[in-house]
Amino acid sequence: MSVTRVLVANRGEIAVRIINACQSLGIETVAAVSEADRDSMAAQKADRAFCIGPPRSADSYLSVDALIAAAQATGCDALHPGYGFLSERAQLAQACAKHNIIFVGPSAENIAQMGDKLEARRIAQSSGVPTVPGSDHAKNAREAAGLAKSIGYPILLKASAGGGGRGIKLVSNAGEMEATFSTAAAEALAAFGNATLYMERYVADARHIEVQVLGDHFGSVIHLGERDCSLQRRHQKIIEEAPAYALTEEIRIKVCEAATTLARSIGYRSAGTIEFIYDNDTGEFYFLEMNTRIQVEHPVTEMITGVDIVALQLRIARGETLPYQQANLRLYGHAVECRINAESPQHRFRPCPGRITKWLPPEGQGIRLDSHCYPGYVVPPYYDSLLAKLIVRGNDRAEAIHRMRNALAAFQIEGVDTGIPFLQTVIDDPDYRAGKVNTRWLETKLEEYASYSTPT
Amino acid sequence: MELSEDDVLHILKLIDESKFDYFQLEVGELKITVSKGEPIPISASPQSAAATQIPAPALQSVPVAPAPAPLKEAPKPLVIPEGMVAIKAPMVGVFYVAPEPGKPPFVTVDAVVKADTTVGLIEVMKVFNAVSAGVNGVVTAVLAQNGQLVEYGQPLFLVKPS
Repeated sequence: MSVTRVLVANRGEIAVRIINACQSLGIETVAAVSEADRDSMAAQKADRAFCIGPPRSADSYLSVDALIAAAQATGCDALHPGYGFLSERAQLAQACAKHNIIFVGPSAENIAQMGDKLEARRIAQSSGVPTVPGSDHAKNAREAAGLAKSIGYPILLKASAGGGGRGIKLVSNAGEMEATFSTAAAEALAAFGNATLYMERYVADARHIEVQVLGDHFGSVIHLGERDCSLQRRHQKIIEEAPAYALTEEIRIKVCEAATTLARSIGYRSAGTIEFIYDNDTGEFYFLEMNTRIQVEHPVTEMITGVDIVALQLRIARGETLPYQQANLRLYGHAVECRINAESPQHRFRPCPGRITKWLPPEGQGIRLDSHCYPGYVVPPYYDSLLAKLIVRGNDRAEAIHRMRNALAAFQIEGVDTGIPFLQTVIDDPDYRAGKVNTRWLETKLEEYASYSTPT
Repeated sequence: MELSEDDVLHILKLIDESKFDYFQLEVGELKITVSKGEPIPISASPQSAAATQIPAPALQSVPVAPAPAPLKEAPKPLVIPEGMVAIKAPMVGVFYVAPEPGKPPFVTVDAVVKADTTVGLIEVMKVFNAVSAGVNGVVTAVLAQNGQLVEYGQPLFLVKPS
């Protein structure tokens, strides 16, 4: 297996990130771009750009046919899917295999197994990884109500085909079950084409903990430690940190071991992330789901391990063995990432496309910026609003937060509104600094923020 | 000026409902370029239905570049001469000038075309799609080669509109 030319089947900052990793390994790149991204940074940085379709993602970045045709047209022997779009569709991995293109990621089988959240839960249980107390089967509201008695309210109804925080309904008490069940099933059918639901006990005071794993073609699986991604807005992560500072050393070791056990049990290769929910009250952790791709927040792990995860994906794809052994990996300090979106915090975070007239990122010790933006770049209205990921490392959490505070203050962007003013209030918040947060904490901060920030 | 989300959506809606395929708006520092391209339904014309019967030789001519082949430069953006219109590829795929190998091409230079005239085929994943002229006029140049893999939006023909 050799990887000499990679089709970058994504856009935005991750397309640039993949191109940089390829260049570090001497691999040529072709940026697959929609018509809206012809002048994107990825298009300019890649050896070649190839237009795959109109701006609408359904006809470009979500078209398996267009991507395969583009890979063939430009003589690519591999394809990197990035995150989002088709990265977790087994169909793309299968199409690549059929056309002798190396898919830089796990096997189509692993993607399908973990894409079915109920199947993933069963796999976790059979490999001895704890899952949230609940039930794998809830055929109808009556059965669900019966099962809920032993699980205990409040409970969550989850769509088997959901994931990433989508397709979840909270049931507070038995009286709500019947109505919520039928709504949840109907919504799951409409959104995912599958009405299957399962139940989990609702953990009220929770942290989102996830473990970065890497596997090769030869059965070796290692982890690169954990991340704490508890600060979320509508299930979208906003600030991520590594390591998971709130967990005891004992639990951190356990959660990482659980992750590698699960990945090993399915013969996982490439980079993947196993997500857990951590109960602040009981100190228990439970498997949530596995993401079979590179993740947005991978840089915080790279910052404290010194490992280039995207380059490793490419090296694994071309058949190399993992160049690290678990015992040799060390974590150095603490890293924090802020997602900087084109949105207007003063206007309920509505997206804010437009031309960036000034782009002056912060620089300095321990600062990294992953971005596709430049002065004059027009943020198109068709895609997500992520402009940049600002990542800082410090020798400890306090130093990292201090650096993030300064970096956010120094970041000068004009032409589009960004979430920076809100991120600054979060970074300065005493509860955040003390680490007294959970997965619902940011939503309460948002309400506070909305109440005192007046539209301009 | 500040452009709100509603403004952008409104602009997109107007373009979507208009007959224009391409729209450029410049107000001071702000410049918006919007274009649309509708994929042609597979069964858009009888030609395309017939074309799915193309025998194997046509497929063998698909240039699947081996990996070590040098990476070809992307075609330079073509400047469309004043008064001309380009017929652009509605999708990524292999472009064919004729319904079958050995058959005469759909159109050649000086051919008179109507908006619904089929001017070529684009094959993607073994499905053949007819390319319509989209404009009434006279073909003045054939820009893409038979069997060439074309990008979305790549100019295939130049037409002098009538």
